[in-house]
Amino acid sequence: MARIQIKDLVKTFGAYKAVSGINMEIRDGEFMIMVGPSGCGKTTTLNMISGLETPTSGQIVIGDTVVNDLEPGERGLGMVFQDLALFPHMTVYENIAFGLRVKKVPPAEIDRRVTAAAEAVHIGSLLPKLPRQCSGGESQRVALARTIVTNPSVFLMDEPLSSLDAKLRVDMRTELKRLHERLKATFVYVTHDQAEAMTMADSIVVMSKGRIEQLGSPLAIYNTPATQFVAGFFGTPTMNFLEGTIEANGSGRRFRAPGIDQPLPDALPAGIAGRKVTLGVRSEHVLVDANGPHAGTVLITEPLGDATLVHFDYGQGKTLVAKVPPTTTLGPGGQLRFDFAPQACHLFDAAGGERLN
Amino acid sequence: MAVASTLTPEQAKARRSRREGRRRILRHVALLAWTGFIVFPIYWMVMTSFKDSGEWVTWPPNWLPREPTLLNYSQIFAFSQLDASQARQATEQSFTIWKGLGDSVLVCTTASLVSLLLGTFLAYSISRFNVGGKYFRHTILTIRMIPPIVIAISILMYYAIIIPYVTSALIGIRISLFDTYIGLILIYTVTTLPFVIWMMLTFIDEVPYTLEHAARMMGASRMTVIWKIVLPLVASGMVVTFLFVFILNWAEFLLALTLTHPDVTTLTVLLNKFQSASEGRLYGPQAAIGTMITIPVVILGMLIQGHLVKGFSFGTIRK
Repeated sequence: MARIQIKDLVKTFGAYKAVSGINMEIRDGEFMIMVGPSGCGKTTTLNMISGLETPTSGQIVIGDTVVNDLEPGERGLGMVFQDLALFPHMTVYENIAFGLRVKKVPPAEIDRRVTAAAEAVHIGSLLPKLPRQCSGGESQRVALARTIVTNPSVFLMDEPLSSLDAKLRVDMRTELKRLHERLKATFVYVTHDQAEAMTMADSIVVMSKGRIEQLGSPLAIYNTPATQFVAGFFGTPTMNFLEGTIEANGSGRRFRAPGIDQPLPDALPAGIAGRKVTLGVRSEHVLVDANGPHAGTVLITEPLGDATLVHFDYGQGKTLVAKVPPTTTLGPGGQLRFDFAPQACHLFDAAGGERLN
Repeated sequence: MAVASTLTPEQAKARRSRREGRRRILRHVALLAWTGFIVFPIYWMVMTSFKDSGEWVTWPPNWLPREPTLLNYSQIFAFSQLDASQARQATEQSFTIWKGLGDSVLVCTTASLVSLLLGTFLAYSISRFNVGGKYFRHTILTIRMIPPIVIAISILMYYAIIIPYVTSALIGIRISLFDTYIGLILIYTVTTLPFVIWMMLTFIDEVPYTLEHAARMMGASRMTVIWKIVLPLVASGMVVTFLFVFILNWAEFLLALTLTHPDVTTLTVLLNKFQSASEGRLYGPQAAIGTMITIPVVILGMLIQGHLVKGFSFGTIRK
């Protein structure tokens, strides 16, 4: 079984704490994506699972074995690297065969398995070529084939798509997802691209400054972000944030900021009134409505095709973004009125950033 | 400013190309003068090697040999005792090049190979494991800044006195490294090691870590990784380094002069020993040997040039 458990994992480089005590479990066959900005500790965590880095403290368990002291090659893992790490002096065939040759697999079987792995990712014709003769997408597939061929129960991937152009990257996402379906192996995937994480993952780990901010399914993370950091990291355009206070108003409560007075849903924890908070609203939940309670002035519009983004100033020199249907007639300088969808408002503590509702 | 603003683009272009042209001529004059300065001694050496003894030192100088002769070459390449037509009067030493050539080839090749092997592995450990700390690579190079004469005498003390004394006192056998192949090979290996480490570091640093990580993930041992991944990728760098170090050893004089005689004689030392009672310094055979020593260096230099291009364009590995 290829279940991975990570217990109190810490990694320090001198005085710098790259990973500060994380716990998580990756289920067998799961497509788990670790996501976060540069330097958040995601690659370090992956490298500790792979064995290329030694944990400062904590445990990594794969299946039922504590692997802390096992060599990378003894852990039964396959890894795809950010720069792909194809051996430049070997042909594609030799690259794919390398792992089998190291394990002293008989030549006839090597031949059969290399051919099968190459066919699986549609690069059968590239076998006699050198890596430098392959395009970016082809190199990507070679790196995949080289990993598939050893039948690892866990695939580790360190931003494998970052060297591809935008269109190819989207195609490869689909292909990776299909590969995961077919192989039924555990995938642990590291990326800084939230769109990659949303589209491919069964579950997502959001990391920041060496800690786990949130662990959950893509939709759970999108709909109920646990912290302001997670809320800002996921979704394009970035969620709108407004700083203000919560005021009790009879039985209901309201969010008040300069130029904004927004009623809030009832289901809020007690004692929240009077606190300084940050209100988060995604652009699709900023409703442009002639009868809306708030007014604004359009700054620019960005047509996306299926929708248009409207950047507007609601007074006080602060900007909000609303996603509106592409048929909108709004243009720079125009006036609009707007409202927030009350059930889609996220409230975060202004100081700590943790979710309040 | 006023002048510049009245120029049409064509005029400006013409003026620029005139300035370029003048610069190019100046550059060539300077380079030609420098080339002449460098090449003249070589020209003189080659010419002298074809001159008979009467023409070696004359005034005004003979720019070309008046009566070209191969006598000098036949003397240095003679296999046996010189016959009457070749022998010079009252000569005490053999003129032949064979012993010196053999010794030089043996010592330089062995020392360069050992140094290359050791240095490559040392460079690997410095590059990958930071052996010796952050500034170790620079420290290594400072060793090369010590002039050879500084170590020559102390090494001579060790080779000729201390080691023989200590070994005979301890094990009863007197082991001397003075005037031995091993002694010279050892000192050549040590003195060239910093160069090898420094040069190989630049090549090994260029090999991406992730290639090794990838191989280790596939179960390769550290030795397999070095043997199958790192060494093939730095092979052309190793060739360049070997040739470079070989030339250094080939041209080394001071240590060989100090630490050997008479059993081991390298070409540079041999070159220095041409004296005859009647004719003084024997410039003819000396020039002939000088010419013969230079030829392999020139050939190796050309080889290096080709490999240097390959070696230093190494950064084209797809990252």
